[in-house]
Amino acid sequence: MKAIIIGAGLGGLLSAARLSQAGYQVDVFERLPITGGRFTNLNYKGFQLSSGALHMLPHGPSGPLAQLLKEVKADVRIVRSDKATIRMPLKMSRPDYGKGFKDIYFNDFFTPLSHRDRMKIALLIVSTRKSRPTGSTVNAWIRTQFKDEWLVRFADSFCGWSLSLKSDSVPVEELFEIIENMYRFGGTGIPIGGCKGVIDALEAVIASNGGRIYTKTEVSKILVENGRAAGVVVGDKTYEANLIISNLGHAATACLCSEALSEKTYSSYLKMLENLQPSAGIKICLAADEPLVGHSGVLLTPYAKRVNGINEVTHVDPKLAPPGKHLTISHQYVAPENVKNLEAEIELGLNDLKEIFPGKKYEVLLIQSYHDDWPVNRTASGMDPGNETPIPELYVVGDGAKGKGGIEVEGVALGVAATMKKILC
Amino acid sequence: MKINDNCVGCGQCASFCKQGAIEVKGKAKATAACVECGICYFYCPVKAIEVSP
Repeated sequence: MKAIIIGAGLGGLLSAARLSQAGYQVDVFERLPITGGRFTNLNYKGFQLSSGALHMLPHGPSGPLAQLLKEVKADVRIVRSDKATIRMPLKMSRPDYGKGFKDIYFNDFFTPLSHRDRMKIALLIVSTRKSRPTGSTVNAWIRTQFKDEWLVRFADSFCGWSLSLKSDSVPVEELFEIIENMYRFGGTGIPIGGCKGVIDALEAVIASNGGRIYTKTEVSKILVENGRAAGVVVGDKTYEANLIISNLGHAATACLCSEALSEKTYSSYLKMLENLQPSAGIKICLAADEPLVGHSGVLLTPYAKRVNGINEVTHVDPKLAPPGKHLTISHQYVAPENVKNLEAEIELGLNDLKEIFPGKKYEVLLIQSYHDDWPVNRTASGMDPGNETPIPELYVVGDGAKGKGGIEVEGVALGVAATMKKILC
Repeated sequence: MKINDNCVGCGQCASFCKQGAIEVKGKAKATAACVECGICYFYCPVKAIEVSP
């Protein structure tokens, strides 16, 4: 059996590793000269920046991605991060960091609440596990339960950091699936070697299973014969396959087989694709001699104007920066209407960092933004349409087809695992 | 080298530029240090770089 994978991002390489392990003859076609997509390292001034993700796995060494890596025997070490913290204003009457701040642990997020609201949280933690809230957004659900603005800020900061969305665009079902996954798999972790540590390990697996990866190789068409996916076209060559996995998201995949999909039976699928929206974000990479965050977990910053959270991965893997330096990365959500004002959004982010780290010395290494065709997520979390397409033997994986409750790469791994279950069982 | 509207500002080109000639802030911009070597063209994920022939 022969499988062709279009795109050597994380979803494509995970699929290639699993299929080659199961005995498929696997060819991976990648348009760029590098593999890893938005999950690899970019060497910049001696720092290992990343092409997208923040060198962090949302559920660390026991999450869905770590499990899948273990299943395919990828040799990568993932270290559990320190506990996440939240930066709070010194006085809640002044909702910014201008007059000082204190950090509290993520798990103590309820401490700023009134006694009554804390009791309510305790009850909700039990009751929502039995019967999950449905049919609204995270923001709307919080407002039906509490009058406190802190919880909305906290939710916006968490959703901004982990999903690059605001709490009013995240379905409440998705949040509760994420919370369940936090119980199941625990908190964040950092792969040694950063994102590329994972990509290198997967490539080694694919090579040892006889699979091949072709870079600078762009697929121009997916061939459909008798209603089934049958191969791809690269340049003037045709490659036949029994199975095709696209790592490009549903919309770009549909463009590669637009002729076949032009038949009327597929119109509802194409209509659904029109409603899929990517998510946008800005990442600011800082270099510092002294630690800025001070631990390897996430620092959430709900009282900054734009920055949602920051991590400092060099506490786990010092090799991600030159000797004696730290690599600190902030992430901020960008609202769809602000994608056209990226420079202003970046300025707000840079000002936030000055307030979050007053008196600290750091250098801004690189500012990276992601939207539209190279976004944070090709499909905003909670809206993913699954891995199947209307064409048999053609599947979509990656950040345009994440599994439910899977933050970023954990969602990619859940989507790949679900796809492999369908194909291999 | 010209950068078109496809550019999202991901900075991938800047990391592969051997001259350190690309500045990024929402969009990439070539500085006077650009020698038109064209390497960045291959690494752009959104086909935003047009290299002059």
